[in-house]
Amino acid sequence: MPEWVTDLFSNFWVSLGGKLALVALLIPLVGMVIGFAEMKLSAKMQYRIGPYFAGGRWGWAQLIADGVKFFQKEDIIPTDADRPVFKSAPILVLVGTVALFVVIPFGPNLIFRDLDVGIFYALAISSLSTIGVLMAGWSSANKYSLIGGLRAAGQLIAYELPLVLAVVGSVIMAGTMSMQGIVQAQIDAGYPYVIFQFVGFAIFMIATLAELTRIPFDMPIAESELVMGYVTEYSGFRFLFFFLAEFANMFTMSAIAATLFLGGYWLPGVPEDVLAYAGPVILIAKVFLLVFVMIWFRWTFPRFREDQLQGLAWKWLVPLALVNIAVTATLKVVL
Amino acid sequence: MTQSPSETEAHPLQGFVDGVAAAVGGTAEIQFDTAKVRVPAEGWVEAHTTARDQHDLVFFSWLSATDWANTVEAGDSLADEVEERIELMTALSDLTEGRLVIFSTDLDKADPRIPTLVNVYAGANWHEREAHEMFGIDFEGHPNLIHLYLPDSFVGNPLRKSYPLLSREVKPWPGTVDVEAMPDGADEPSRENPES
Amino acid sequence: MTIDSDVVRHLSEAQVSVELETGDMTLNIGPQHPSTHGVLRLVARVDGERCFDVKPVIGYMHRGYEKLAEVRNYPQITTIVNRIDWVSGYANEVPFITAAEKLMEVEVPERAQYIRLILTEMARISSHLVFNASYPLELGAATPLFFALRERERVLDLLESVTGGRFHPNFNRIGGVKPAYGSGSNTRKQIQDLPAGFFAETRVAMDQVAEAVDQLEDLVAGNEIILARTRGVGVLPPEVAAAYGVSGPNLRASGVPFDLRKTQDYLPYDKFDFDVITAPNGDCWDRWHVRLQEIRESTKIVQQAIDSIPAGPLQAKVPKVIKVPAGQTYVRAENPKGEMGYYIVSDGGQGPYRLKIRSASFSNISILPWILEGALVPDIIAIMGSLDFVLGDVDR
Repeated sequence: MPEWVTDLFSNFWVSLGGKLALVALLIPLVGMVIGFAEMKLSAKMQYRIGPYFAGGRWGWAQLIADGVKFFQKEDIIPTDADRPVFKSAPILVLVGTVALFVVIPFGPNLIFRDLDVGIFYALAISSLSTIGVLMAGWSSANKYSLIGGLRAAGQLIAYELPLVLAVVGSVIMAGTMSMQGIVQAQIDAGYPYVIFQFVGFAIFMIATLAELTRIPFDMPIAESELVMGYVTEYSGFRFLFFFLAEFANMFTMSAIAATLFLGGYWLPGVPEDVLAYAGPVILIAKVFLLVFVMIWFRWTFPRFREDQLQGLAWKWLVPLALVNIAVTATLKVVL
Repeated sequence: MTQSPSETEAHPLQGFVDGVAAAVGGTAEIQFDTAKVRVPAEGWVEAHTTARDQHDLVFFSWLSATDWANTVEAGDSLADEVEERIELMTALSDLTEGRLVIFSTDLDKADPRIPTLVNVYAGANWHEREAHEMFGIDFEGHPNLIHLYLPDSFVGNPLRKSYPLLSREVKPWPGTVDVEAMPDGADEPSRENPES
Repeated sequence: MTIDSDVVRHLSEAQVSVELETGDMTLNIGPQHPSTHGVLRLVARVDGERCFDVKPVIGYMHRGYEKLAEVRNYPQITTIVNRIDWVSGYANEVPFITAAEKLMEVEVPERAQYIRLILTEMARISSHLVFNASYPLELGAATPLFFALRERERVLDLLESVTGGRFHPNFNRIGGVKPAYGSGSNTRKQIQDLPAGFFAETRVAMDQVAEAVDQLEDLVAGNEIILARTRGVGVLPPEVAAAYGVSGPNLRASGVPFDLRKTQDYLPYDKFDFDVITAPNGDCWDRWHVRLQEIRESTKIVQQAIDSIPAGPLQAKVPKVIKVPAGQTYVRAENPKGEMGYYIVSDGGQGPYRLKIRSASFSNISILPWILEGALVPDIIAIMGSLDFVLGDVDR
C-alpha cells in the first residue's frame, strides 16, 4: 500500500466516508444481483425469458433501471398515516439487514469485525426488521396493511425461535460464538457441520424463508389477498428500501447458513494460503446455491395460511430444534 | 332434434309432468320440449314444497317473471291482445335424469305480491331480489328484499314493458338490417357486389 | 389547486373506513381487488382473521341483457350473447340458438352440430385452463399460470382460425353455423367450410393440452401446501348446492354425477364416449381436481368428434328475415361454469318478447354468504377462487 493511501485513510472522516461509500455501493449491488438472479431464474422456470431489453440481450441493466425509476417517483404518504413512524419503518428494516454484513467472514482475514458473540449479535440485529415491519403495517392508515402487519408480527416472532435454536447446535459443536471461530472449528474438524447438523440446517433454512416473508411464508404480503400487505402504501424509494432489504437479507442469511453449516469460505482439500484469495469466491458460490434453492421454493409452492404457518413453527420446528440441541449436547459430552 | 307439439306419440316427460300437476293442483302443458305447470297463486309455496319432497325436483334453477302488456315502450308489441298480468315462473329440476319443470303463476299487475320461496329453496333469495327490482313484485316474508343489481337510489322497474329504453327514445327501432344473404338467397346489389 | 384534506379524509373513509376498534372490523374486499374475478365486492365482518358475516354486493357490471334482447332480433342477439361469460365465449351462444331453432322447428345439419360440439368443447378447455392458471396464483403459486395459459393460446388460435374471434366468436346462425364466404366482390357464392388443416392442427393441439394437464397435475396436485390450503376448506354438501342452484363442476365435486351433456340433447354428445368426473368431498381441492380432469375428457371428445365428423351443409335453409313463431321454450346447456339456459317467450316477431338468461355464476356465488361463514380471511380467497365464476356471468 503506498504511504499516502494509508495516511489518507488514517483520517477518521475519510475512512468513515469510505466505509459509507462502500455500504452504499455494496448493499444495492448485492440486492440487484440477487434480484436479477430471481427474475431470470423464475423466468426460466416458467418458460419465459425474463429481462431482455434493458442492457443488451441479457437484460442485466433491468434492475439498475428499476432502481433509478424508484428513486425518481413521487413520495406519497397517506393523509391519515402516522408520518414519523411511516418514514422510519423502511429505514429500520434496512438497518437490520446492513448490520448483518459486519460479521460475515469472507476469508481468513476478511471480516469487518470478528465479534466474540458474532452469531448472537447477528440474530439479535436481524430482529430489528420485525419492529420495522410492525411499524409499517400500523402507520399506513389502511386495513389491509394492518392485517399484513399483524400477520407479520405473529409470523416473525414465531419463527425467531426455531432460527435461534437451530443455530445452537452448530455453536455447541464449534464451542464458540465467533463466526471466524466456527469456520476455523470446521476446518480443524475436517468436515462441514451440515453432515451432523442436517436437522438444524433444514430448520434454519425454513426459518430464514419465514423471516424474509418469502413464499411459502409470505402471508404478511400475500399479494393476491392483501394487495401488498404492510407494504401497500409505500411507493418510490421507501418501497425500494423494503425491496432491497429483502434481497440483501437473502444474501446475508444464506451467508450465515453457509458459514455455520456448510463450512463458510473453506472447501475440503483447499490449502490455507489459497483460501485468502479463493475464500470469498467459495463463500459466494455457496450463498448462490442457497439463494437458488430459495428462489426455486418461491416459484413452486403456494403460501401457507397463517394458522398453518404458526402450527408449523410452534408444533414442529421448535420441538425438533430442542431435540437437536439435546442430542448434539449429549453427543458432544459423551464423545 | 326438435319435437313439434303435433306429434302423435306422447312426449317422454308427459307422464312425469302430469303426475306433478296432479299433485300440486295445476295444469300441465308441454310445448317445444319444455314442461310447464300452471299453478294458482294461493298454492305457490305448497306446490314447490310438494315438488321438492315428493317428485325429487330438488334443484332450483331460476325464478323470473314475464310482463304481459298490450302497450310496450321499447320493442315490438304483441300481435294479439292478452290479459295484462305478470307471470311468475320458477324452473326446478331433478339431479338424476335432468327432468325440468317450469312452474308458473299469474300475479295481478297493479299489486303483484306472493309469499317467498326462501324457506323451500334457499337459492330463491337472490332470484327473488332480482325479480323484485326488475318487475316490482313484492315477496312477502323475504328476509332481505333490497336491490341486487341496481343502485340503491334507482327508481323504476326496468324489465316492465312500461319502462322506456333511453337509446330507443333517441333512435327508433331500425327494423331488419341484414348484411349477409342466405345461401341461394336472392342477389341484392350492395357495396360489395355492385350491379354492373 | 389546493386539496381540501377533509374531503380527502372523507373519501378515504368511505372506501376503507379506518375503524380501529378492538371489536370486529368491517373489511371491504373489492370491487377492485386482485382476486375477485371482476368487480365483485364482499363486505366482510371479521374478528381477527375469522369472518362471520359476508355480504356480496354485485351489479357493478350489470348490462341489462334481458332488456337489450327485447329490442333486438335474433341474429343481433347472437352477437351480444357470447359476452355474458366471456371466458368461454362460444359456449354461451349454443343454447340460445338451439332455443330459437326449437321454436322454428328447424333441423340443424349434422355437420354443423358436430362443429358446434367441437367448438364448445374447446371453449370448455379454454375456460378450465384459465381456472387452472388463476386458482393456484391466488393461493400464491405463480408458475401454473404460465403453463396453463401457454396451452390456452393453442386453443384460442384454433378458435380464431375458425370463427375469426378468440373470445367473442359470433359463429352460430339460426339453422347451423356461419358458412364463411370468401372476401371481396368475386366469391359471394362460394361457401368455405372449416379452414384447411384445422383437423390436423386440432389433433396436435389436443395432444399437447393433454400433456399439459399431466404437467399441471404433477406441479399442483401432490403439493403439500396446496393440499393443506384446499383440503377440507369450503365443503359444500350436495343438498345445499342443489337448493341454491349450484351447478357444473361445483356440483359434481360434491359427489353428484349430474352432467347436462349426458341428459340433454342440444348437441350430439350421446355419440361420444366420455366420463362424468365427480369427487366425493366437495371441498376446494375436489373442485380444482374435477375441472382439471374435465379438460382431459374434453380433449377425448374433440378427438372422437374429429374422427367421425360427417360431410354436409353447414346451415339449414332458413328464410332471409328470421321470424320465430309464437311459443315458449327453455333450453339448458352444460357450460364450463355450470348450467346456462335461455327461456325464450316468442310472439312471432323478429325478436323475442322476453328472454330470460339463466347464468351459471349467478347461482354459484349466491352460496357465498352460506359457505364463507366462519372462514378465515385467506380461505375467503381460496373458496371464492374454487367456485370459478366470472362477473359477466353473474351480472349479465
